[in-house]
Amino acid sequence: MTPAGSLLIATSLHKTYGHTPALDGADFSIHPGEVVAVMGPSGSGKSTLLHCLAGIVKPDSGSVHYNGRELTTLSDAERSGLRRGEFGFVFQFGQLVPELSCVENVALPLRLNGTKRKEAEDRASAWMERLEVADVAHKRPGEVSGGQGQRVAVARSLVTGPRVLFADEPTGALDSLNGERVMELLTEAARESRTAVVLVTHEARVAAYSDREVVVRDGKARDMAGVR
Amino acid sequence: MSGQDAPAEEPRSRVSVTRWAADLAMGGRFAVTGGRESWARTIMTAVGVGLGVALLLLASSIPTAYELRGERSDRRAALGFEVDPKPGPDTIRLGQANTTYRDQDIEGLVMAPDGDSPPKPPGIGHLPHPGQMWVSPALKKLLDSDDGKLLRDRFPYRTIGTISHDGLSGPSDLRYYAGITHKTFDRVGSDYRIDRWGTKNVGKPEPLNPALLLLIIVGCVVLLLPVLIFIATAARFGGERRDRRLAALRLVGADIHMTRRIAAGESLFGSLLGLAVGTGLFLLAREIIGGIEVWGISFFASDIVPSTPLALAVAVAVPASAVMVTLVALRGIAIEPLGVVRNATPKRRRLWWRLLLPLLGMALLLPLAGGFGSGSGGGDMKAYQAAAGAVLVLVGTTALLPWVVEAVVERFGGRGSVPWQLATRRLQLSSGTASRAVSGITVAVAGALALQMLFTSVQAEDATSTGQDPTRAQLMVSVPVANGTQAHDAFDRYRTTKGVRDLLGVTEDYISDVHRSKDDPSSVPEEAITIADCPTLREVVRITSCKNGAVFLVDSPSYYGEGEGFAKPGAKVNLAYHDDGTPDLREKKVWTIPRSATKVKPRQDPGGGERTGIFATPGAFDVADLPDPQASAMIRLDPKVPDGVEYVRNASAVLSPTIDVMRLTSTEQSDEFTVIRKALFIGATATLLLIGASMIVTTLEQLRDRRRLLSVLVAFGTRRTTLSWSVLWQTAVPVVLGLALSIAGGLALGVMLLKMVGQPLAVDWTGLATMTGVGGGVILLVTLVSLPPLWRMMRPEGLRTE
Repeated sequence: MTPAGSLLIATSLHKTYGHTPALDGADFSIHPGEVVAVMGPSGSGKSTLLHCLAGIVKPDSGSVHYNGRELTTLSDAERSGLRRGEFGFVFQFGQLVPELSCVENVALPLRLNGTKRKEAEDRASAWMERLEVADVAHKRPGEVSGGQGQRVAVARSLVTGPRVLFADEPTGALDSLNGERVMELLTEAARESRTAVVLVTHEARVAAYSDREVVVRDGKARDMAGVR
Repeated sequence: MSGQDAPAEEPRSRVSVTRWAADLAMGGRFAVTGGRESWARTIMTAVGVGLGVALLLLASSIPTAYELRGERSDRRAALGFEVDPKPGPDTIRLGQANTTYRDQDIEGLVMAPDGDSPPKPPGIGHLPHPGQMWVSPALKKLLDSDDGKLLRDRFPYRTIGTISHDGLSGPSDLRYYAGITHKTFDRVGSDYRIDRWGTKNVGKPEPLNPALLLLIIVGCVVLLLPVLIFIATAARFGGERRDRRLAALRLVGADIHMTRRIAAGESLFGSLLGLAVGTGLFLLAREIIGGIEVWGISFFASDIVPSTPLALAVAVAVPASAVMVTLVALRGIAIEPLGVVRNATPKRRRLWWRLLLPLLGMALLLPLAGGFGSGSGGGDMKAYQAAAGAVLVLVGTTALLPWVVEAVVERFGGRGSVPWQLATRRLQLSSGTASRAVSGITVAVAGALALQMLFTSVQAEDATSTGQDPTRAQLMVSVPVANGTQAHDAFDRYRTTKGVRDLLGVTEDYISDVHRSKDDPSSVPEEAITIADCPTLREVVRITSCKNGAVFLVDSPSYYGEGEGFAKPGAKVNLAYHDDGTPDLREKKVWTIPRSATKVKPRQDPGGGERTGIFATPGAFDVADLPDPQASAMIRLDPKVPDGVEYVRNASAVLSPTIDVMRLTSTEQSDEFTVIRKALFIGATATLLLIGASMIVTTLEQLRDRRRLLSVLVAFGTRRTTLSWSVLWQTAVPVVLGLALSIAGGLALGVMLLKMVGQPLAVDWTGLATMTGVGGGVILLVTLVSLPPLWRMMRPEGLRTE
């Protein structure tokens, strides 16, 4: 797959934590509406790649182009703004604010963007319905099951209508049944809204939901297009 | 056996002491060997408990410190009225020569032995000879300093040594013993003799005034209860992480009771370490306190010794309460092998017993309204009843806080900004932590406010009762003189003293009725006679015209009915007096009141006094004819000359070593009340800061526990300001509620206290505003201190799991 027409392109990314290299010249690209699985063994640097792509972490060198903008030259505030408006996130665990109800959690990104509470919660409720968790809207995260919590998190990641969704081991803490349902809902919703999905996983059955796989090993990313 | 069986729990009754000790010891071991986190938790608990212990030890030292200080003061007391011996070989003649230098009070005695074996006061090697003096180290330091240059002129004595510890009440004691000749005693107004130093009641303090007892008890509750609350909060530091560790223990087979004992052991170790830290802090504070003076009171470090029963109580109660707090904290959670489960629906706080406490308190206080300190008997009982009532109101107000916080935050909907929503939702989830931290504020502010109200009212009454008028004269001096000429000379000396702009001098004495029986001089009617020039007379009587030679009469209503006194125009009066102060009726010295004398009304002098009797100008009466006069000078100072009052005091010292120069003020505040008010304010502020410190610890702990969540929030673009504001609101809501409740409780208690002592209602608005301001400061402080770690934690590193 060539970077032409890509929404997000990373070139020659290097990132070191202390003396440990996490990324060592990694390249990556993704098109609108595409689902790309980033695979690799534990400690290979796949999460670091996701963090660099999302502008959460600045790489030591290399470039990340999103929709014509170079992320590495943006200020912290500009990158935060980008994440609020254009990106969505799903993590493995610990991502819902425990004191807020599920619907308030889903509405949170909208509210951070300045949307009024009522409107934000209406849109959040719609997404929750779509992800089949409308019944837990007013429960706190501590009162719902892991699968429900993860679907709430997916709803939250999609509520702002992001162009790229970053999912880091989104089913890592779920059983296979729940994990598969979450993946079905996530990819279905993303494809419908033409949201690109960067899916970090080490599970082949999760990666099976993707259009393309990228394998990260020793900090280098290798596109597996055509391999599968 | 099924693999799903719960681990076997040993029956509680069979748990041996050895098992208990082993579990407690294991907890202790975890406190030190559990890695950095365990150490951090143990240190936090130890420092928190240590601070509380140090304060408790200092508080428990106050009785001993005062006792030792009081004992030394009693031993050096020179009380003539207790003994009053005749001159002899073992007596000493004394004169009180206290003075003041730039608002610092200096106590002094001038002395001359009558014989060869006079007693010497404690702390000096021998009695000073005439022209010599012993000084306290603090006075020596002052005299040797540049600041004390002006004071040196006041002491025409050579310093021969410093008074030792035995003769001082505290290190900042400004004191001297000076030797003078018996001849110099002629210039001492009121001399007396003693044949021993010290009072008969050394070490036997008089029983406390019930009202004072009430203030002390309420004051202790106000200042110490928050410390206890703080200790309880400190024992919970790091509780959530500890719980997770305990879950790991459950996984390897510990039953629920074992985990509780282990948790108790961990807490016990922290609090025992806290005891050691507290003792260290106390010893350090003791040395520091030994070197400072607060409002004229200072203690030697060696005086600050905790009373044994109180120290023992601290040593036992602090670790015991830490263990108890831990066990109570564990009550609401279930530690399971796979994690910690907090009870999803925590028990709703009950209102009835929380309301019962302040209502009971009010019920105890109400019957005392208007009757406290009325002298109707049962003073001690009333004091205890009042103290119990006040304590119940304060404790009850504190107990109400968690309910109020819970009830109020429950009513917050999801409305408002994101930070507000995050903060209120957090409080709704667990308002207990915030309420516990803030409850100390409630008791400190409510108590301080109530007592401030009481003092404001009492002080307001005191201030109006002085009657002095500093616009007419700023100083008043009473000069002991042997005759009218000396009085005249004394006035001249003051007039030429630097800083004196004007002087009103009156010379006074007594005259008696000339027509009375010779047998019983004590029954002879007497009147005062005041000699002064016209400008001065205008300040003490209401006259429209006056010229030298004039005489005025003011009736004295206390002896006779209006107009019935013997001092009438044309009447003869007797000027002769014996040395013992009784009229000499045998060798009378008669003076006739001029027929031109006019009756006038009295006028309050600048010192607030009102004079009656005969008022004569020098042209009408020669002051030299007064047998035993008293000279009073009312001095107007030149405001442009700094230290004018010190020059006047120096001039007075030349006239007599025992002259006291009184500064006139219209709104004088009682020193004691000022001290107590300031102490209360400082105590309440310190408490608020202590609580602020514990809030900082709990906030940081909460942030640390939410490190990953914060990183996730950053990942989807949450601004720093959003989370900073949520921390501010999260601190502000409970503090504001706590302050509101404490203001309500404080005002209610204050009104009751005022009613009890029969004082008019007066709200100390300044105190109220100050306390509110300090509370606001605490909110800001907690937020500001929490921001740097919050921002550090809002970094993507928290998302890394590998």
